Amino acid sequence: MSDAAIVASALTKDFRGRRAVDAIDLSVGRGRFFGFLGPNGAGKSTTIKMLTGLMRPTSGHATIEGISVEAEPLRVKERIGVLPEELPLYERLTGEEYLQFVGRMYGLSRAETRSRSDELLEFLSLADERGKLVVDYSLGMKKKLALASALIHNPHVLFLDEPLNGIDPISGRVVSDLLRRLAQKGVTLFFTSHVLDLVERLCDEVAVIDRGRIVAQGTLDEIRAQRAVGRDASLEDVFLKLVAADVRREDLSWIG
Amino acid sequence: MDRLTGLLLLRWRLEWRGLRAAPERGLGLLVLLPLLTIASLASAVAVFVGARVVEHSRPELMLPAASALATLIGVFWALSPLITGLAAGETHDLTRVLQFPIPLPTLVVSSLLANLVQPLVVVRLPMLLALALALAASAWRLPAALLGVSLSFAVMLAADHLAGLAIQGMARNRRWRDVLLFVGLGLGLLVSTLPFLIFASGGRAVGTTLRFFVRGDGFALSPFAWGVRAAIHAGRGELAPCLGQLALGSGAVLSAIGLAVWATARLYRGELDIGGPGSAKGTRARMLLPGRVGALVEKDLRTAWRDPALRASLLTGLVGPLLFLFLVSQMPGVGGSPGGLLLIASIAGVTGLGGAAFALERRALPLLLGLPLPRFQLLVAKNLASLGLRTPGLAMFLLVALLLAPLSMLPAVATALAASALVALGLDNYLSILFPVVAPGVGRSPYSGSAAGARGLGAALVALGSLAAAVAISAPFVFLAWLPVPLGRPALWLVSLPLGLAGAAAVYGMLVAGAAGLLSRREPELLARVLSEE
Repeated sequence: MSDAAIVASALTKDFRGRRAVDAIDLSVGRGRFFGFLGPNGAGKSTTIKMLTGLMRPTSGHATIEGISVEAEPLRVKERIGVLPEELPLYERLTGEEYLQFVGRMYGLSRAETRSRSDELLEFLSLADERGKLVVDYSLGMKKKLALASALIHNPHVLFLDEPLNGIDPISGRVVSDLLRRLAQKGVTLFFTSHVLDLVERLCDEVAVIDRGRIVAQGTLDEIRAQRAVGRDASLEDVFLKLVAADVRREDLSWIG
Repeated sequence: MDRLTGLLLLRWRLEWRGLRAAPERGLGLLVLLPLLTIASLASAVAVFVGARVVEHSRPELMLPAASALATLIGVFWALSPLITGLAAGETHDLTRVLQFPIPLPTLVVSSLLANLVQPLVVVRLPMLLALALALAASAWRLPAALLGVSLSFAVMLAADHLAGLAIQGMARNRRWRDVLLFVGLGLGLLVSTLPFLIFASGGRAVGTTLRFFVRGDGFALSPFAWGVRAAIHAGRGELAPCLGQLALGSGAVLSAIGLAVWATARLYRGELDIGGPGSAKGTRARMLLPGRVGALVEKDLRTAWRDPALRASLLTGLVGPLLFLFLVSQMPGVGGSPGGLLLIASIAGVTGLGGAAFALERRALPLLLGLPLPRFQLLVAKNLASLGLRTPGLAMFLLVALLLAPLSMLPAVATALAASALVALGLDNYLSILFPVVAPGVGRSPYSGSAAGARGLGAALVALGSLAAAVAISAPFVFLAWLPVPLGRPALWLVSLPLGLAGAAAVYGMLVAGAAGLLSRREPELLARVLSEE
């Protein structure tokens, strides 16, 4: 069995002649907390879709725990949990029904599904809302429910696209602590977020993608060394330098 | 003034963009506009001639008949925002501009004016003029007649505007929005089947009802009628009743506009939200059906039942067989014959084609395809759910068959229906994978225009071919159900019916196995097409 949980080799995706992801190579070790960063439209979500078998790459290939995503998608899907950016939930189910449905889809028994969904709802402070239709949930509640559904089957690898976006600070702390404990228990986390402080605090390793290309990869110290920035430079400083962001400093002429 | 023009332009621009975004609607408008113009002129001539004839031949009928007509048109017009769903659309949603510093009067006037200058309003103007001309016996009575007719029209427009605002206010609450959608679709269905219902009774029931109201002048109290009644009195030179009806009509218009202003003011102050999304307390969730397939079927049935549009479509499924009963009742000898009935059962069964297995998923399809569920099971579950949703309609069909044929034919009819439905569902999986229904964009209503997600002309041709294939493939099994009839040996059904069903089930199994393989190979492409990510 390979030591890498997630491997992408020359992964490329074109949309009608436009290259969204350009031959990226990634390798994420088991139990690593991997941050995948990039500006809007850089190709983060497209990469996650290719790694989880929801989008066919134009070229290149990906494996999860040594299993080819393209050749054996069902085996891959048994091992992964995904929290996508778009939150595709069944809005006309209640939160509890939704978790029971997902648990059954992963082949859990009724009793196991029920006990895990109870625990997840309690843990994510959704227990009082279990009987509400998902359509009536707030964004944060939907996010927590989607996270619960990604965890219910005890996945080996978790793909989390902006998992804390819209979640209140208390639940945010609960979730980030949980994610850290999952990594300690050997779960591999592939994590995207625009909150760079959080990424800096949680992730062992990061990759930065810009216009479809990986422009840096490694631990924060390694990236600082590669880019010749000071040891005290924050991830935000490094990120802005890497993506060559043109941050405007002047004020708007009519304000004030 | 700048704000007023800005708001009016915004509304018309949004409506125009809505048409441009859906080419088929733009094309429809191109066809519709000349037709509307011709229809408007023709209606104006008909109204003129009709009013003149009634006024000269049966003048005593003029007031009650005109009142009844004005009321029917007015009620339909006021309900139209609900039936078309237009009022709940973003174009008509005043609340989207409430965060800007727009004075209330500007908002009220812009909303009224934008509703007034619409093609459907403009095309009615020739009819109003024609009616006033027909009623006015002399030129000097024309202005009063025109004023009366215009008052009735103004009441209709104001009622329509008020209904639109009320719907907007209610639609801000999810539960009320669902109720409105369901009621609107139900009313739309009723209106579209009304001609059949009228024909079915030979028009007698409607005629009797109308005569009852016309004789008693029952619509004299309708606000929609007061203006027209004033016009009739004006045409006859009856000054006092004319003035009385004009005063009533003006009062009706002012009241409706006053209510509209009040409703707009409540929207303006954020006071039209009706309650929260409902209590979270309730019984524990219980998914009853066993296994993965059961859970998937139950999920589809639950979500469909809680979705007002899909629930309404279940009603549509019930109406189809009733219309069929009506049609068959008009063709003696066709429906009652065993061969004809089995043929019709077979056709009813294959209508399962086009059910689009993944259409219910909309943007949740990545979730479904992200699950490690064997694709054979997935398709079977989707087909079972589709069959479950069509069961009320099919049961109604069997009920209708019972009325047309002897009870002994029922098992054969049910078998023909089931066999052809199985084959159609098996074939439909291929259409769902190769020509999927496009999901509406992120944040867009599933009921918006693009939600329909046309499968395209090529797909329509393939669907026709598949329909023919479904009929051909299911023909041997329907034949087995029919065979004992010409042989005159009903006992043969004991063998032929199970044989027919088993054959259809075997064909279905083979079709699903093939479709599951196709799905496994084409999942990413399917997702890309459904989510428009190509």
